[in-house]
Amino acid sequence: MWQAIKSVLAAFLGVQKDARRREDFASNRPGTFIAAGLLMGVVFVVLVALVAVLAAR
Amino acid sequence: MRTLLVWMAGGLASAALTPIALANGWNMPVGVTAVSRDIYSLHMIIFWICVVIGVIVFGAMFYSLFRYRHSRGAKAATFHEHTSVEVIWTAIPLLILVGMAVPATATLKNMYDTSEADLDIMVTGQQWRWRYEYLGEEVAFTSNLGTPREQISGADEKGEHYLLEVDEPLVLPVGQKVRLLLTSDDVIHSWWVPDLAVKQDAIPGFVNENWVRIEEPGIYRGQCAELCGKDHAFMPVVVEAVEQERFDEWLVERKEAAAQEAQGVDREWGMDELMERGEQVYGSVCASCHQPDGTGNPPAFPALAGNQALLDEPERHISTVIDGVSGSAMPAFRNTLNAVEIAAVVTYERNAWGNESGDSVQPSEIAELLEQDE
Repeated sequence: MWQAIKSVLAAFLGVQKDARRREDFASNRPGTFIAAGLLMGVVFVVLVALVAVLAAR
Repeated sequence: MRTLLVWMAGGLASAALTPIALANGWNMPVGVTAVSRDIYSLHMIIFWICVVIGVIVFGAMFYSLFRYRHSRGAKAATFHEHTSVEVIWTAIPLLILVGMAVPATATLKNMYDTSEADLDIMVTGQQWRWRYEYLGEEVAFTSNLGTPREQISGADEKGEHYLLEVDEPLVLPVGQKVRLLLTSDDVIHSWWVPDLAVKQDAIPGFVNENWVRIEEPGIYRGQCAELCGKDHAFMPVVVEAVEQERFDEWLVERKEAAAQEAQGVDREWGMDELMERGEQVYGSVCASCHQPDGTGNPPAFPALAGNQALLDEPERHISTVIDGVSGSAMPAFRNTLNAVEIAAVVTYERNAWGNESGDSVQPSEIAELLEQDE
């Protein structure tokens, strides 16, 4: 799971090592990546909302 | 070393160009409010950030093109990826963008804070004039294009403020927070005065808010900034910022004039004074469509001179001016003109340009009609 989260964060930034990418695609369980993607998406939205709330005060 | 010199020369040239650009009006104005100065400095900071990035990126590119050219035996590198370089060139733009967003957001927040205003003004766009209403002060008037038609048609030399002058400017006190409530009676207009850094849409059925606190007395000019029809170019905005004392005097004068006008409704008006007033009203609100000589511009804008239907039916003539004609370009003037002005303009239209009905319409009759319908 931790590896999947790291890969999702790399995807957010748009930069990934080729070796890591190969490793990810060797895994046969897409579910982990989908779950990590959804989780990090929610975390990102909450972070942005938090910054907006703080800035609006 | 030589490249560095070229860059420095470029930087110096741009720095020297800035005052020239300002003096020539190529740049946006600094303006006369705290907000307009904030916007100007944001604009300049972001401009210089773009210049620096442009010089670095294009400098590196042209240097590489020249230094590692094929004729000098340069060989292309074949490596595939370099994660740390990629992270750096992703992170730096991210930081620059966030760095620009912070001051921009602070300014935007300030611009949207319309609370605690000292004075509220309703600004209503109409085809093709602005109406200003000083809320709570019982002062309201329309501001029409002041440029004479002869200048527009080319018969006269164009004046200094060609198409940027009005008959009655919006008068505002300096140092006060003035809230503008913008809306429209017909189509979307946009109230734009560059020196005040205000460009706000006036939309029928909506009330948009904006605010200004002008710091220097003066006359600030602007235009409608949303294409709104035939005379879009002929509905300028002129703001006259005056000291508080002068503003209070002006407000009292306006109120007295309005009271006098209200008294004028009850008395009997003579033909000559109706015609004189009517010609004035016709010139500022009717002539742009129906033409100064009443010949109109058929089929959209019918002729009034020699119009038999108009001469035969005075009641319909009056109701057309008061309520407009739905589905046509003829607007309702019920809220734009007062009883005296409507009576005068109808009288004028029935007796000018060879229309010799001899009818005169009294302001008291119109006042009655206006009250009935409300």
